[in-house]
Amino acid sequence: MLDAVKNYLNSSVTPGEAGSQLWATVYIVAITLGVSVAVICMNWLERKILAHMQIRLGPMRVGPHGLLQPIADALKLLIKEDIIPANADKVVFWSAPVVVTMTAFTTFLVVPFGRTHAVTDMNIGVLFMLGISSLGVLGIIMAGWSSNSHYPLMGSLRSSAQMVSYEIAMGLAIVCAVLMTSLQTGTGTLSMIGIVEAQSAQGTWFIFKFFPLGFVAFGVFAIAMIAETNRAPFDLPEAESELVAGFHTEYSGFRWSLFFLAEYSAMLAVSSIAVTLWLGGWLRPFANTLSGSAWDLAFSLIPALSFLAMGAGCFLGTIRMPKIIQMRVQTIGLGVFGALLALIGLTLLLPGVRERVQDIYWFVAKVACFMYLYIWYRGTFPRYRFDQLMKVGWKVLLPIGLAVLIATAVVGLRQELWAAIVGVLQ
Amino acid sequence: MSVTPLLRKVFLVDLLKGMSVTFHNQSEKERITEQYPLERPVIFENYRGQPRLNTNPDTGESLCIVCNLCALACPEQLITVKGERNPVTKRKEVVSWTYDLSRCMFCGLCAEACSTDALELTQDYELALYSRDGMVLDQAALERGPEPVRYER
Repeated sequence: MLDAVKNYLNSSVTPGEAGSQLWATVYIVAITLGVSVAVICMNWLERKILAHMQIRLGPMRVGPHGLLQPIADALKLLIKEDIIPANADKVVFWSAPVVVTMTAFTTFLVVPFGRTHAVTDMNIGVLFMLGISSLGVLGIIMAGWSSNSHYPLMGSLRSSAQMVSYEIAMGLAIVCAVLMTSLQTGTGTLSMIGIVEAQSAQGTWFIFKFFPLGFVAFGVFAIAMIAETNRAPFDLPEAESELVAGFHTEYSGFRWSLFFLAEYSAMLAVSSIAVTLWLGGWLRPFANTLSGSAWDLAFSLIPALSFLAMGAGCFLGTIRMPKIIQMRVQTIGLGVFGALLALIGLTLLLPGVRERVQDIYWFVAKVACFMYLYIWYRGTFPRYRFDQLMKVGWKVLLPIGLAVLIATAVVGLRQELWAAIVGVLQ
Repeated sequence: MSVTPLLRKVFLVDLLKGMSVTFHNQSEKERITEQYPLERPVIFENYRGQPRLNTNPDTGESLCIVCNLCALACPEQLITVKGERNPVTKRKEVVSWTYDLSRCMFCGLCAEACSTDALELTQDYELALYSRDGMVLDQAALERGPEPVRYER
């Protein structure tokens, strides 16, 4: 048994490639749990960071600095009354949140957290992710339709129009990255792992490829992915000031929390597409300029050091807590949390763990940057009007996407093109 | 269309400016929210809150000479002072003092009118009560000063 685990840990392929159903199941469970925990963390972080951006404190009372607030929220949602409106289409109403959640989680099947840390390596990985994540809009329309109410219907119609128009720009941007994989190596690939390996083989992340072409394609994708996930400033389907809560107005309790879970895991999913396609997936930064075994060692220590730094931050927080009797439990709790983080950091210092985990760390760190950006946008930008949204989608992003696609193809094949022109002239 | 606004649009200058504003708002210096029951706000000296009747710190006698100026000054007429002359000391002494806090607008005219600095509006601001019963203060309550009611479940 132990040998089997050891053998597996030393293998260099994903469970899908190895044909190991057991390990695939283990990965699926781990990823599901990890995504759920990430969503819970995002809930807290979003409220906290958004509050700080608006010069507020955010949750402070439940646990130290409100750390236990998401758990309290989840408990509250679980024990809330489960209401289905009298005139709602019950079966559709019941299945809509399930569809949304399932699609959001299924996309993580092909997300490569590392060379070996993916459930499977599909040769149509990107296509699979796009297809499944655009199924999510079906769930949203189901929710809006079955609620038998005005606001949800309006919200879901907006959502479908928005998703259809932004998916085109998104697809064009993705085709750019797929074109780039075929350059120099000769064969293009849609596999998520293949795309990251192409970036590693070409020695550059695709965001820096053919500067500024890669960057512009990434920009188009970065805007389209916010619109795809219905986040501010493109959150018209759930515009609070206009539509109460959009497509999930009639939902409450656990069904509502399923929508919440789906929204945040969809954000994680599209961010991980962006990271895989343009930001080198699990590759560590500065792989070219700071190469060599010494730098490799230094970069492999960063995960541990960052966890230790977070633990130190917690201890600093315990010192700066107000010295009042009411805050004593909270102070101790924050100290324990810091100790936990420091313990994780110390575990990551072990050479064996370090080598296996740094891929995941870099991938997650990059995705976390995107999550911060999502919150930052929400804290800064006002919502678009619907005609402005359509204008940005069709009149700005689509032409830019087409132009970048053509330019990438021309620049990528410039030698062949030049040879052809010279041949014709001779 | 001139070039500058177009360039501003293309390079998202205004959006980036807004993002820098929200980013800098995150610093701890910007935060002004107080954790109220745990952190007490600083109250200014001239804040007018709960009234108090001062006593002579040496003898413990009331400083009030029942001149009735505060009752006359009060625009809401919520102060009633009754007193009678003590035949021995030839001084007027308080018989009853009531101050109806529920009608008070904290204008401070009574404290201004007071000739002996007996009546004073203090800086205490926690005046909320669970019923109207405690709103009319008598001499003893005024001399004790405010006693905020703790919330208990």
